[in-house]
Amino acid sequence: MDPVTRRSFLIKGSAGAVGAAGLVAGGIALTRDDAEAPLSSAELELADDGAVLVQITNAATGEVEVLFGEREVRFTDKALVARVLRSAR
Amino acid sequence: MSSHREAPAISKDPVADNTDTYAFVTPNNTVTIITNYLPVEAPAGGPNFYEFDDAVTYQINIDNTGDGRPDVTYEFRFETTNTNPNTFLYNTGPIDRLDSPNWNRRQRYTVTKISGGRRKTLARRVPCPPCNIGPRSTPNYSALADAAVANLDGGGRVFCGQRADGFFVDLGSIFDLATLRPFQSLHLIPTANAAGVDALAQANVHTIAIEVPIDHLTRRGRVPTDPMDSRSTIGIWGAAYRQRAAVRGYDYGSRHVGPWMQVSRLGNPLFNEVIVPLSQKDRWNSVGPDRDRDFARFVAQPELARLLPALYPGVFPNLAGLTADRADLLAVLLTGIPQGLIPGFQNFTGTTQADELRLNVAIPATSNPNRLGLLGGDLAGFPNGRRVTDDVVTIELRAVAGATYPLVDPTFTPDDAVGVIEDGTFNNPGRDFLDRFPYLGLPYSGYDVPAAAAS
Repeated sequence: MDPVTRRSFLIKGSAGAVGAAGLVAGGIALTRDDAEAPLSSAELELADDGAVLVQITNAATGEVEVLFGEREVRFTDKALVARVLRSAR
Repeated sequence: MSSHREAPAISKDPVADNTDTYAFVTPNNTVTIITNYLPVEAPAGGPNFYEFDDAVTYQINIDNTGDGRPDVTYEFRFETTNTNPNTFLYNTGPIDRLDSPNWNRRQRYTVTKISGGRRKTLARRVPCPPCNIGPRSTPNYSALADAAVANLDGGGRVFCGQRADGFFVDLGSIFDLATLRPFQSLHLIPTANAAGVDALAQANVHTIAIEVPIDHLTRRGRVPTDPMDSRSTIGIWGAAYRQRAAVRGYDYGSRHVGPWMQVSRLGNPLFNEVIVPLSQKDRWNSVGPDRDRDFARFVAQPELARLLPALYPGVFPNLAGLTADRADLLAVLLTGIPQGLIPGFQNFTGTTQADELRLNVAIPATSNPNRLGLLGGDLAGFPNGRRVTDDVVTIELRAVAGATYPLVDPTFTPDDAVGVIEDGTFNNPGRDFLDRFPYLGLPYSGYDVPAAAAS
């Protein structure tokens, strides 16, 4: 299985290639951080089509939930959670 | 109320609040299913008259395999538009047709059938009628409402829009510590006996109604003719769904995002209203009928059955002595009534406990309906489906009080009082049902209700 990134979550989810329920049940963890890579047009469209809502569901464990379109995905990223919480101080 | 504002969360979200579900066999081998939303609409509700919500998915669900899950779903999505950006008015002149340029705020909807994992659009951008404003704005309301009945691709008809609420009940009495007729004077806190007051007598609702061929709803597309055939019964419920999150913009527009979550449902009238404890009503609204085994204990030992002997000392002695689980109510509300209890009748769907309005479609409509349905010997009435004229409050009050327990224990004798319990609002002369689709009466007009005082 290919490494899963935040970007591939959104791309696969929006394309319907990966079922959201499977992602949730699988509890997939990120293996590569490509936050600095440029966004693709498909990723940009996600934000244009409607809200992409990110919720920290468990700050202590770094669990994050992303709502987009009619789907949701969850993953764990302690570094991301830390950055978000620090920005909210 | 059947399910008007019946749970804390949904009472704050009226556009998604399913108030009643009806299902009954209609002519030409069809079934009519009605689900209502927007409880207790005041007809004079301007300037922003009532409407469905574009952000809600409304569904009519049919279970024809007895597992508490939908096998056939009719899905309704609405689209609201303003045609005149420069007026505060709902209409700038008489609305004499559905495409009237005078009508500023209008809704259209799309109907999609979901079955076997496939989605099929049955009707696209069908216009709703306007709300009934008054003689100047909607001068021929009946014609507008009739014009809003549309055909479905593949057979059947649909109507979505405002109607008079068909539910009749004395809310003020029932929710004042279960004041029942004709026993007010025998209550622990007695009052004089009085006639019933129909609390919804002049309220409107928003109706989603379909009339579809029976074979569109049944397992393997059959038209059952034998009422005793287990495949003759279908289970029906209405439900509404919202996406998990809404983000409000500074311009009051909202973005909705995430998976759809059920926020309201209704099969049997009054189930969530008077069976499920207040603390669990919101959860009940969020799960499907296949989860209703979690609530079965509240059916087996209904709180109201314990209250009646306490509130009416000496009136319900046999009910007071009935401590066994209520197998009668478990059957009526959660599995259907199996063969052998009522001659010539069953609407059993299996052992899965699910609150569904069960309709045996092999039992034809009757030209002489009894308001008490099965309790009155009328096999075509509630709880075999539900017709708009069935007196479900009286039926369920009597059932909870013990009227149906002899079905499962012939040695039990209901109290004499059970046979005379009345809600007291049946046959209100102000009620005006139709004898044709969509069966609920025309909505009350805002100009006429509330009525002007006589001068």
